[in-house]
Amino acid sequence: MTDWAHHRFTANDLLLDRQLVDSRGMMAGRIDDLELSDPEPDPAGGGSAARAPVLTALLCGPIAYGPRLGGRLGTWWAATGRRLRGDGDGYPCRIPLSLVARVDRMQVRLTSPRELLPSYRLRAWVADKVIAPLPGSGR
Amino acid sequence: MKKALGLTLGVMTAIGGFVDIGNIVTSGITGARYGMTLAWAVVLGTIAMAVFGEMAGRVAAVAHRPVYHVVRERLGVRASMLNASSSVVLNVLTVAAEIGGTALVLQLATGVPYLLWVPLVAAAAWLVVWRMPFQRMERVLGLLGLSMLVFVVALFWLPTDWAALWDQTIHPAIPAEQAAPTWWFYAISLIGACLVPYQVIFFSSGGREEHWSIKDLREMRLNTFLGFPFGGLLSLALMAVAVPVLRPLGIQVNHVGQAALPVAVAFGGIGLAIALFSFLVATFAAAAESTLSTGYAVAQYFGWSWGKARPPVGAARFQFVCLATVVAAAGTVLTTIDPITITIVSVVLGAAAIPLTYFPVLVVANDRRYLGEHVNGVVTNTLGTVLLVVMVVVALVTVPLLLLTRAGQ
Repeated sequence: MTDWAHHRFTANDLLLDRQLVDSRGMMAGRIDDLELSDPEPDPAGGGSAARAPVLTALLCGPIAYGPRLGGRLGTWWAATGRRLRGDGDGYPCRIPLSLVARVDRMQVRLTSPRELLPSYRLRAWVADKVIAPLPGSGR
Repeated sequence: MKKALGLTLGVMTAIGGFVDIGNIVTSGITGARYGMTLAWAVVLGTIAMAVFGEMAGRVAAVAHRPVYHVVRERLGVRASMLNASSSVVLNVLTVAAEIGGTALVLQLATGVPYLLWVPLVAAAAWLVVWRMPFQRMERVLGLLGLSMLVFVVALFWLPTDWAALWDQTIHPAIPAEQAAPTWWFYAISLIGACLVPYQVIFFSSGGREEHWSIKDLREMRLNTFLGFPFGGLLSLALMAVAVPVLRPLGIQVNHVGQAALPVAVAFGGIGLAIALFSFLVATFAAAAESTLSTGYAVAQYFGWSWGKARPPVGAARFQFVCLATVVAAAGTVLTTIDPITITIVSVVLGAAAIPLTYFPVLVVANDRRYLGEHVNGVVTNTLGTVLLVVMVVVALVTVPLLLLTRAGQ
């Protein structure tokens, strides 16, 4: 269960642009978008007027970031992100709410180490392919 | 005792770390050309650096995060992107200027052309960024940088006309034989040299590297309110020594060597060696620090892990940005553009970007959610606002003056 430091707040207040911190206190990116979905999806696939969507995931990475930057640069940024994804999936990196430990004024704390997050791929690539081969990289 | 030693060390590092290629070049040029009539610009720049440095340091100590880390949360994704990208461009130019400056000093010392030194200097700066522990880097380079005190000693040794220096300092007037736009252009370059963006990024990120907390506020304030002004005094000494030596002979400074000449006149070969050594340390330290600052700015904007506390692989993208910065900067110098020109352009463009760099500091230092009771007081806010208004004026006239005077020709 996520521990929310405040009962009522806006996305700008506590979520958007906030620092994600993993379970060991390591920086794990910033939140760029939010995913809202139907809490009890209709098996037939239709929406329901009776149920309001709820927050289900925090989105991050270049695909979520691009549209916020806007303009041609933003489009290009998101397109680069999609290309880097490589799996043809144009959906941003998701951090399901189940992985979020606490949301407060200073940070958004996660329950898992950042190596297990879906947003970790680019970082891992840079670490393994560029930084690790250099002498004294600490690996 | 140990505490006192730590405080002294901190102040001394702040003094030794204040001067970089921008201060050396602009102080040398203006001293030889205008005497002390532009000393006010160094004083203004140093006061602004101390005031905004203190705000940035306070944010780092109280909110436990460097000031530009907060900027994105506070100013939003687009404004802070503008801020971060201008910092990156200016930092790369600064790193290029510092690497070029170090290489020029090595050329003077060895006779080997500076272009051959550039790759070596760049590699050495990168190694410092890559592996040297933060505090050791700051202290070793900062303390060695105190060798620049030789300029103060030379000032007492040379036939300095103190009354005339003081008179020019407190009655600034454009010397009769000089053009007004160029004088103003160099005033701006001196202000820009004191307020280069990397310094405030480095200072506040460094506070986090050293795990400052509220109990370190006193130490931080000593650094900003004693260390920076004394650093500014060194900058003034560089300017003042040129007055009795270079100015009467009409020698213009267009090489770092000429800035060291007055010390050679005072103390001969030994003096020259110490002066060149102090330039070497100051520019090299600044090369490493401005490289790190690029990494800090980018990593903090995107929320990546950053810093020298963990091995490079633990902050991979931060180290990657630093590496790319060094490569881009070395490439810029290797195009054979005169490093002195790069220096002037970097400090002047830096001056144009001052409001962009320092306005967010003022905003964050006023945010109670991050700083609680430690937000800016009335005095700091008044001072900060007045300085910022001055900086906006500076920024507006910078580019026209740059074009009008063809970079101070």
